[in-house]
Parts: sequence; C-alpha cells; structure tokens
Amino acid sequence: MAAWHSPLGPSPHAACSSKSNILPISAVMDLLIRKRAAGYVCRSCTRQVQREIRLRRSYSSSARPDIYDVVCVGGGPAGLSLLTALRANPVTSHLRIALVEAQDLSKIKSWKLPPDRFSNRCSSLTPASVRYLDQIGAWHHLDQTRVQDYHEMQVWDGVTDARIEFDTLSSSPTSGPDTTIAYMTENLNLTSGLLKRLEELGGVSTYDNAKVEQITLGAEHPESNLDLREWPVIHLSGGKQLHARLLVGADGANSPVRSFAGIQARGWDYNRHGVVATLALEEQDFPTHQSFSPSGKIAYQRFLPTGPVALLPLPGNFATLVWSTTPENAALLKSLPPKEFIAMVNAAFRLSPVDLSYLHSPASSGTPKEEEYSWRMEHTHINPLSVPQTIIGVQENSIASFPLKFRHADTYIAERVALVGDAAHTIHPLAGQGLNQGQGDIQSLARTISYAVEHGMDIGTTMALESYLSERYAANHVVMGVCDKLHKLYSFESGPLVGLRSLGLRAVNGWEGVKSFLMRQASGGGSML
Amino acid sequence: MRSSLQRRAPTLLRTISRRSQYEAAIISNAPRPAAAATRPAAVAPQKRWHSSVNADEISHFNALASTWWDPHGSSRALHLMNPLRHDFINTCRSTSLSSSTTVTPEPNSQPTAGQQQQHQAPKLRYLDVGCGGGIFAESAARLPSTHSVTAIDAAPVIIQVARQHASKDPLLAEPTKLRYINTTIENLASTLQSSPEGSKFDVVTLFEVIEHVDQPANFLSHLSNHVKPGGWLVLSTIARTWTSWFTTNFMAEDVLGIVPKGTHDWNKYINDDELRGYFSKFADEQGWDLSSLMVQGVVYVPGLGWKEVQGSEKVGNYFLGVQKKA
Ligand SMILES: C[S@@+](CC[C@H](N)C(=O)[O-])C[C@H]1O[C@@H](n2cnc3c(N)ncnc32)[C@H](O)[C@@H]1O
Repeated sequence: MAAWHSPLGPSPHAACSSKSNILPISAVMDLLIRKRAAGYVCRSCTRQVQREIRLRRSYSSSARPDIYDVVCVGGGPAGLSLLTALRANPVTSHLRIALVEAQDLSKIKSWKLPPDRFSNRCSSLTPASVRYLDQIGAWHHLDQTRVQDYHEMQVWDGVTDARIEFDTLSSSPTSGPDTTIAYMTENLNLTSGLLKRLEELGGVSTYDNAKVEQITLGAEHPESNLDLREWPVIHLSGGKQLHARLLVGADGANSPVRSFAGIQARGWDYNRHGVVATLALEEQDFPTHQSFSPSGKIAYQRFLPTGPVALLPLPGNFATLVWSTTPENAALLKSLPPKEFIAMVNAAFRLSPVDLSYLHSPASSGTPKEEEYSWRMEHTHINPLSVPQTIIGVQENSIASFPLKFRHADTYIAERVALVGDAAHTIHPLAGQGLNQGQGDIQSLARTISYAVEHGMDIGTTMALESYLSERYAANHVVMGVCDKLHKLYSFESGPLVGLRSLGLRAVNGWEGVKSFLMRQASGGGSML
Repeated sequence: MRSSLQRRAPTLLRTISRRSQYEAAIISNAPRPAAAATRPAAVAPQKRWHSSVNADEISHFNALASTWWDPHGSSRALHLMNPLRHDFINTCRSTSLSSSTTVTPEPNSQPTAGQQQQHQAPKLRYLDVGCGGGIFAESAARLPSTHSVTAIDAAPVIIQVARQHASKDPLLAEPTKLRYINTTIENLASTLQSSPEGSKFDVVTLFEVIEHVDQPANFLSHLSNHVKPGGWLVLSTIARTWTSWFTTNFMAEDVLGIVPKGTHDWNKYINDDELRGYFSKFADEQGWDLSSLMVQGVVYVPGLGWKEVQGSEKVGNYFLGVQKKA
C-alpha cells in the first residue's frame, strides 16, 4: 500500500496511519473526548445525588478510601507535563499521584514511525516551552530527529499581499544568540517523550484504557473520623474509585472535570474547519535568501478571506499543513484525489483569492484542479522566494479536519478542582498557541502546588489555587483575544477593513515594537504568556 | 460598638494620654488598666483578674467560628498571611542552624537546602497558642518536617470548628499529628502533665493573639514555660500607632472589610520595642537569647496580599521571633 500520493514520483514507503493523535489545535480534542464524555454526571446532578446522600446520611461502609493528592484526568501534553513537573521537583515528589487516560499509554510510549512518515498532529513549541520541558528532564526523551526548529516566519495578506517578515534577529533585540522562533514536532513525539520521562521518575499510579464513568463527592467515614464529603471521587470502569485532594482536568475542550465542577465555558464557533495534512515538498534547489536562518527552514502563513493557511516545516523535505477554511471547502478538500488536493494547497499559497474561490466553487467541478491550477499559474506572477517550495506529495491518510472554536472557561479553579490546557481554553489555532498556552498553565500550576506544599497548604483548596488562576487567566485572555481579532480582521475580502489591514501589516512590518510583541507571543518569550 | 470612626476618635485620644501608664503595665506584669476600663464587664468569667482571657474577645471569636474557613470570609487576611509565617519561622530557625551546626552535604545527592535540613534535623514539635480555626496549626501539621502540632484556644466553639475542619483532611487524621485542646495558657501545664508529647515544644507560636489578651506580660511568662531550651517563640501582632489604627481599624475593618468589625482594640496593640523590652527584662529569668531576637514587618497590599517590608514593623503588622538559650 502506498504511503505517499505524489503526482511526480513513486511513493517512498509503506503506510502507517496515526489516527489517535491529539491534534495540535485544541478544538480537536472535542471530537476525541465527546465519546468518552457520555458517561459523566454533571455537577448539578451530582449535587442532587449528594443532597440525597446527605438526607439519608448514609455513611460509607466501604473499606478505607483510596486517597490521592493529585488525580489528573487526561494524558495529553498538558496532563503529562504537569505530572512530570510534580515528580521531578523534590518538594512535590512525595505527593500521591494518579493518572487517568482513556487511551492505551503503552502504545503511545512506544510510538515509532519511519523517518519519512509523520503524524498529522503537530505543534509549534516555543523556546519557553522547550526550556521548561528540558528543566523537568523530558526534552531529551523526544526523538530529536523528528524535531524541526525554524528561525523565520513569512506572514502575508492574501488580498493585498502586504507582508510581515518575522525573524528573531531583526525584531527581537533581547533574544540573545538563540534565534529560534519555535520547534515543530509531532504531538506524539512529545507525549511519548513525556511518558518515557515519567516512567524514569516512577511513582505515578496510571489507569489507562480506563473510562471515567462518573465523578461524585465522597462520604463521611466516622470510623476513621474522616469527612470526605467535599472530595471528588473518580469512578473508573471496572469499579475502581479514586479520591482526589486535587482533581486536575486536563481532559480537553469538552472537559468532564469542568462539567463536574459546574464551570461554564463560553465562546463561539467560527464556522470554520481546520484541515491538516502531512506534505512532501520539492527539494530546495536554490539557497534560501535568509542567511540568518541556520536550518534554512521557514514557516509560511497566508491570510485568505476564508481563513489562514499555514505550512510549517518538519525535518527533511516535509511539512505540516494547517488550513482554516469554510466547512464546505474543508469537505471538498477532503474529498479530492491526492493530485487535486496537492494542486489546491499549492494554489492556496500562490493564486489570487478570486482564482481560489473559483477553484473551490461547484462551477469548477468539471475540470481537474491541477489543470485549472497550472493554467492559472501561467497567468500569475510569483516570486518563488516569497512562497513555500512546491508541494509534491501528500501522505496517505494524513488529511483530516475539525471544527474551530473559541471557548474560555469562567474560571480555572473550584474547590479541589483545577483545569489546564484545552479544558480551560480553546482558541483559533492562528498562532499555534494552544499547546503552548497549556504549557504555560501547567508551569504555573506546578509552581502553585509546590508553593502550597512548602507552606503546608491543602493543595486542593481554592485558597491554595488562587495564584494559579490569577497568573494564567488574564495571560490566556490576552493571547486568545489577539488571535480572535486577527481572525476577524482577515476574514473580509473587501470593504474598509481590507485597506486598513494592508496598512496594518505594512505598519506592523515597519513598527518594530508591535512586531516584537507579536514575535514574543509566537515564541513564548513574554514571561507568562 | 467599636466600629465607627466617630466613636473611636475619643478613645484614641484617651489612649494616647494613657500610653506611658500602659507601657509600664506591660513591663511590670500588672493588669492592664486601659483595656479593662474600656470594656464592658458583660460576660465576666470567674477569676477574670487572674486570667489573660478576655471574655469579650472570646465571644467575639466564637461568633466568627462558622466563617473561619471560608476563603472569602472573616479570616481571609489570616489565610493570606499564613505562608509568610512559615517563611519567618524558617528564617529564624535557619540563622540558629547555620550558626550552631554545620551541615555537610551528601556528595551524590543535590537536594535543596530545605530538603537537607528536613532529612537531617529531627522533626519539630509545635505548640500553637490561640490557634483559632487552625489555619496555622493545620499547615504546620502538613509539613514533612513536623513531628506533631498541639493547638490550643480559649474559645470552645472555635476548637469545635477546628476539629471538624481537620477531619476533612486524611493527612491530619492521624491522631498524633494534630490535636486541639480547649484550654487557657494558665491551665496548659496541668493539661499536658501526663501527655506523652511533654509540655515543652521546639516552636511555640502566637499569631495575632497577644493584642487580644489581658495582661500580656503574664501571658508571655506562662508561654515561656513551654519553649524548649534552644526552641523558638514566634509571634505576630500589630504595632500601636496612628498608621496601624488607620490601616487595621479603619481601613481593614471599615473600608476594605477584610477583617470583621470589632476584631481589633487599638488600646491593646503592642509595639515591637515594648516586646523587646519585655524579653530583655526577663532574658535571664526565662532564658531568652537576646541576640537571636528578630523582627520583620509585613504590609497588606490590596490585590497583592501580604508583603514583607523592612521597617514596617514600626507602623503595622509584624513578626517577632526569639530563641531560648540551649
Ligand atoms: C485573630 S485570632 C487568630 C487565630 C490564629 N492564631 C490565626 O492566626 O489563624 C485570635 C485567637 O486568639 C484566641 N484567644 C484570644 N484570647 C486568648 C487567650 N487568652 N488564650 C487563648 N486564646 C485566646 C481567640 O479565641 C482567637 O481564636
């Protein structure tokens, strides 16, 4: 079976699809988690049950409860990083920790792909995230041959062609000798590396392949003079019950932990889908004009009226696609044969929005896309240095799509509950900030827990968790607001906003202060963002 | 009755004129005339004149009991201050540790300094006096470096609240970790007579209590009996100044509302130099090492919480620590 569809040559290797990945873009967790969520009891129902329990005043008759200091639901990048951080820190390493995950973690830990095959769920890790992963001893457990750094970003407006060129040398005077904007890698490389580090550290009771059937509150245990009526109890398939001093919801955008805590997540849907794919690029036969980019790798993002399309570099001549577009376009793209899909992606970085919307319209369905593309390219003038290399192949089974959402939880903490990552916030994947925001969350939460332990606080109380909320809420809100506004600004094809935004991008290009702010956002250099 | 600015101003003026008399009272172990005179004798307990317990104060705190553990309730300011107490105790103890013992690090491991002390030093026995709902007592009992915490308060309802709250944490359920006793400092020695813990402790704490007791000097000398040789007495209180009256009575109680009204009687505030005076006067008799005495001012910044501020002990809340000679 062919792994690569390429109009130009034979497919290099055998297939191996990876469907169970966690997408780099937070919204995707929805799809994965929705299934799991069915079994949960929401907080208000729990309260109801609780009230009945109180009325009956039934005391627990079961044996001594199984009590943990931290129970983390969700073994994605955020949950695993948090537990690694807690285990790696001598102050918190004595805590009793449990991890609950629906997937088979041993499969993820031993995850492996041949060098020319890539999972389509990739993330752009900022230097700040990488520094922290290194500090907790996880970074070197990632397969470094599957990590690609890049030092330059080309961002332009599809309608006006106005450009922002991001490079760390010219825009960030404080960045020092390291000019890396970000590190691209597959999410599975990250989770697999974290799992290896956790195994090395030991001491986490892992319940994988485990379904959370419901979350309730504990009971009174008069025989041991214990009152656990305010403690969350996580009921696993198979009957196991875990009591949690602190229940961490790292369980994605549809977070069952969040519903248990009765925390609302508000926001809106963009009526956009993100299309991802792993692509092969033409070998570069000309040197990049950017001498400051040691890897020669560039990330490209073009704002189209339907949404941004981005091509992010992977090792070798591979790249990952993240294309936000209308649900109709997304459906069309997924239905195309590989050759036509490739033509559409090449077109997305080159043709005018008018040509593109024709290609996406039903009117064009008579002619194959690659013919339309070549014909239109003859009439389009492109500077090859300003667009990515030509895409020549798409990895089999790597095209997928998911709806984009903006969601922000009303709070990240409740008594004995903390939310991190997508459970707390889901954003438009414009700046690739989703996973990095989650990393920012867990750094803050791990620091908060460590401080609480050192000062004898009960780490589950809102009193102890307050500083996590205050550190992260505003920071996330700023990032989310910026991404959301960028999306809206670039969603118009004509009218006053178009003129404004070409001015905007040109102004940004010349305005070092704003540009370096945007750069800091992208590279996570801004302290807590 | 003690809550409005108009009613307070005359008291304030009266107190100023009484100040020298009041200072003399502290040093000389005599009953406090000022405090006694301005309080109604409503719920007078028996033998009031021999006891440090002020019945008014106790009923005031009993009434606060139900909201003691509400993070946004009556004791929020105490909750926020609590981590700083541990920092201050660590500062006190680390000075005496570094001067008396040299810690040799193990060659292969590189634990943090705190960890090393935890491993090498014997675990600590705490006595928390005027423990209230147990904010400090619980937190001390959770520390890996703690052997046990004995916590006492004169208010019976509050001890009930404290016990009930401790039962919500399995870590504190171990009967030897944390015990609450409803008693006065005067009766503590006889209560502890047959206790396996003994009646002397490594760290005796008195947080936000001394400004609520009658005859503070008497109170302190009873306390000193329970500090082991080489052990520490650590307390926190509020200086008696115009600023502290403004910040704690007016700002904290009336404007910010972070402290319940009627909690503070400015007449009873004690300045750090008055306490220094007490400890030097009784240094020999009670065995205090004056060179160890440490004072640290802390300031409540709305929105930020408590912050250590050098020199602020002269104007508001402060910690004081003093060690007994070994
Ligand atoms: C402001 S509260 C401080 C509570 C606790 N130390 C804290 O900071 O969390 C003062 C406490 O001192 C207690 N108290 C007042 N006079 C006392 C006395 N003479 N003996 C023992 N406790 C006393 C009160 O009942 C009250 O609980």
